[in-house]
Amino acid sequence: MAMPERSSPDVEQARSRLLKKVTARLARAAAVSFWVMVIAFGLIRLAPGDPVLARLGAEAAPEAIDRLRHALRLDVDPATQFVEYTWGMLHGRLGTSIETQRDVATIIAESLPVTLGIIAVTLAMALVVAVPLALAIATSRRPWVPYLFRATTSVMLAIPAFFTALVGLIVFGLHWQIAPIIGYEPGFPANLRFLWLPALVICTHLVPVLSRVLHASLVQTRGEEFVETGIIRGVSRLRFTWFYLLKPSLAPSIVLLSYMVGVMIGSTVIIETIFSLPGIGRSLVGAVINRDYPLVQGIVLVFGLFVVAVSLAGDLLANWLDPRVGAT
Amino acid sequence: MSLLTIENLTIGIPRGSAAPLAIVENASLWLQPGEMLGLIGESGSGKTMLCRSLIGTLRRRGAAILSGRITLAGTDLAHTDERAWRDIRGRRVGYVPQSALAGPNPVMTIGAQLREAILQGTPGADVPARARELLDLVQIRRPELVLAQYPHQLSGGMRQRVMIACAIAGTPELLVADEPTTGLDVTVQAGIMQLLRDIRARLGTAIILVSHDLALVDDVCDRILVMHAGACVEAVPAHAAPRHPYTIALNRSRIELAEPGTPLVTIAGQPPSVGAWPPGCRFAARCDIAQPDCRLGPHPPMRGEAHANACLHPERAA
Amino acid sequence: MNEGRIGIAVGATMLLTVVAAGIAVPLLSEFHPNELVAIPFRPPSREYFFGTDQLGRDVFTRVFAAVHRDLGVAFLGVSIPLVLGTAIGILLSLATSRVVAALTTSLIDAINALPLLVLAIALIALFGPGLQSIVIVLAMTNWARYARIARTRADVVARMPYIEAARLQGYPRHRILLRHFVPNVSAETLAYALSDVILVIMLISGLSFLSLGAAPPTAEWGVMMSEGRPFVQNAWWMTIFPGLALCWAGIGLSFIAEGLSRRERGAGE
Repeated sequence: MAMPERSSPDVEQARSRLLKKVTARLARAAAVSFWVMVIAFGLIRLAPGDPVLARLGAEAAPEAIDRLRHALRLDVDPATQFVEYTWGMLHGRLGTSIETQRDVATIIAESLPVTLGIIAVTLAMALVVAVPLALAIATSRRPWVPYLFRATTSVMLAIPAFFTALVGLIVFGLHWQIAPIIGYEPGFPANLRFLWLPALVICTHLVPVLSRVLHASLVQTRGEEFVETGIIRGVSRLRFTWFYLLKPSLAPSIVLLSYMVGVMIGSTVIIETIFSLPGIGRSLVGAVINRDYPLVQGIVLVFGLFVVAVSLAGDLLANWLDPRVGAT
Repeated sequence: MSLLTIENLTIGIPRGSAAPLAIVENASLWLQPGEMLGLIGESGSGKTMLCRSLIGTLRRRGAAILSGRITLAGTDLAHTDERAWRDIRGRRVGYVPQSALAGPNPVMTIGAQLREAILQGTPGADVPARARELLDLVQIRRPELVLAQYPHQLSGGMRQRVMIACAIAGTPELLVADEPTTGLDVTVQAGIMQLLRDIRARLGTAIILVSHDLALVDDVCDRILVMHAGACVEAVPAHAAPRHPYTIALNRSRIELAEPGTPLVTIAGQPPSVGAWPPGCRFAARCDIAQPDCRLGPHPPMRGEAHANACLHPERAA
Repeated sequence: MNEGRIGIAVGATMLLTVVAAGIAVPLLSEFHPNELVAIPFRPPSREYFFGTDQLGRDVFTRVFAAVHRDLGVAFLGVSIPLVLGTAIGILLSLATSRVVAALTTSLIDAINALPLLVLAIALIALFGPGLQSIVIVLAMTNWARYARIARTRADVVARMPYIEAARLQGYPRHRILLRHFVPNVSAETLAYALSDVILVIMLISGLSFLSLGAAPPTAEWGVMMSEGRPFVQNAWWMTIFPGLALCWAGIGLSFIAEGLSRRERGAGE
């Protein structure tokens, strides 16, 4: 702070600092994407023993073994293979499934929308519940409210999603019969009928995490001095809530939310399996059980790149909403 | 007639069935229109709470006025409801927050914040014209540039000038500035002080300037009220010799008065903390001239008009 | 702080009861976990507290016979990455080569970017299903989370004035490392490990539920729930009781973790 007073800071300089910041963040995302690619590529090479024998069994015919080895490109040296793999990936070629002989990119393109649908519905539900909840708790004057909130969220976070899913299926699917227990219908809004229960199940973890972080930053904001100036200016309740409480508190929650999308992708794997939804997570489980390496590789790659992209978007959004984030 | 009168004001934190925890006890002060009063005290002396009682934001901090009166030109501020406060804040009492860093809302542009302040001060005002006028008043050049910026893009001194512009947007009779130069450079600090004096001269605003820097306040204010552990101990005109042992000790410990080659003078001990106030004078434990009767009964009230003093033995103080 | 203590007490009681039952029930029960003791699908009764499963095994005995397996594997699955990650994080913070540091950091970022469950499942494709595979897979992946925490903390510690002072006084490097870095950093990673145990227990049972972990007829909560799933309409007890045991242990751990972090925050204030 010990700077001589300036009539105004150099706007150009501030802009170039921001640009530098964004460039650095993009470079980090690129580096992480590269490693994601290496991990996805390395998966098959990391296998102890021979992945081909693991899939076909030791008694398989030698021709079959050779054919599969060639199909997996395990007969060329790793460097060449990596170049081929990278080149193909940049052109949208992710290989062919050993199990179904179908194009991996096509399989992913078919199942990804279902997973994205689950995530979108979950996010919408979680925001609708978590934001008012955190606000209500942060502005409550009753001392037992935060207690109850922490205890309840601790309990919710400790209950595995697949257990909640099973209980949900029993209660909503079998007992009350208000949720379909099997099947899927693509297209909005027909898919909502199949997605609301899975989304609700994921929300039992997402809402506690999100509302906790938002609550913590709301409590911090509430104690800040500028809130005093908002009161003094007598701004309307709505305006006060947005400009003086929520907006200054959002940045950590958005960063968290973009991280949680990654965690949610993890839980969709289990949730899709339980609810028999034809998403990418269920494809992954099937591929692993069948040792369909190209499909596993492709899905891991897509998941990884998706998470990197979402976390990048989250950081940039937080930056835009809260100018302090970019400045420090 | 004085603009502001505070009589026997006690502020505390209600604690359910237990007795409330007093933070400020029996504080009294008066302020003439256009007067600049310095409010001095160590942290925890209750000066910030006293300021908050003038803008009605005690409740947010869990505190409340337990007894006493606050009158601002005939208006009772001690028993004001939230609705009535809306007409007082910004219009009759302006407030400059403590720190230039945390004062402005970080997610709103300067223009948006100034706009809020202007509309609170004078509903239906011509915002752009008034904004330019106010920024001119606080000596900010290139206002159109500043209006579009976020607080973190401005220097600390600029930010505090903006906060002052917001505080005087409704031309209040009284401006409360709670340590407005915390964390600022000495040169910037001098600029802000000069600005406050200019505003007083041009608009006739009475100002309460809170600080823990006696030398600074002695320079710019007309009168100084000294607080120690929740009580007012002395109200002394600027440049007059202090008479309360605490003020005398504060004055001696001023760094610029230190003789080269001699150790700096400090005040021994700590002020008693809130909730642990001893009976009698709360400075007695740190005082050289304390007598047995200093440690008895309630804290002595200030006596005297132009130069009020709460010491029971002023003749012994030197 | 009171709240923290209550949380720890409640959590510890919950965890101890399940551990105690995990030791006592298999010893005292008249049934063997894999023994066919009655006709299948017996509902809970005074004889078979949690009913019997599709093969006629006693669910009560099986639920508590699984305790040592689930908690034991979780303990291994957390402690190996904890030690590994803490060491790597500290070394990374002290690394002098910027290239090595940058490369390792982006590898850590990449591993952390991939959802743990997805990466674990993919690696299980290579190692084959099984509880050992889960421990190996966790050691391969989860260290990155600890390394990130350890690195951040070690960077903070390195900037602390007393470390600088110790260095200037010429204390040997390894002594500074052992005396200051290791305790300071591992306090942080240990705290994370405590909440991580819950995630790892869920991961183990979740993978087993997907038939990627323990295999039938092993008595393991995820396996039991997966076995009960087709019969959930008529024999809910097969799924619900192992699930409740899992929740019980998880909630106990969660209360302990929450209580400790409360207490720590209280002490810091």
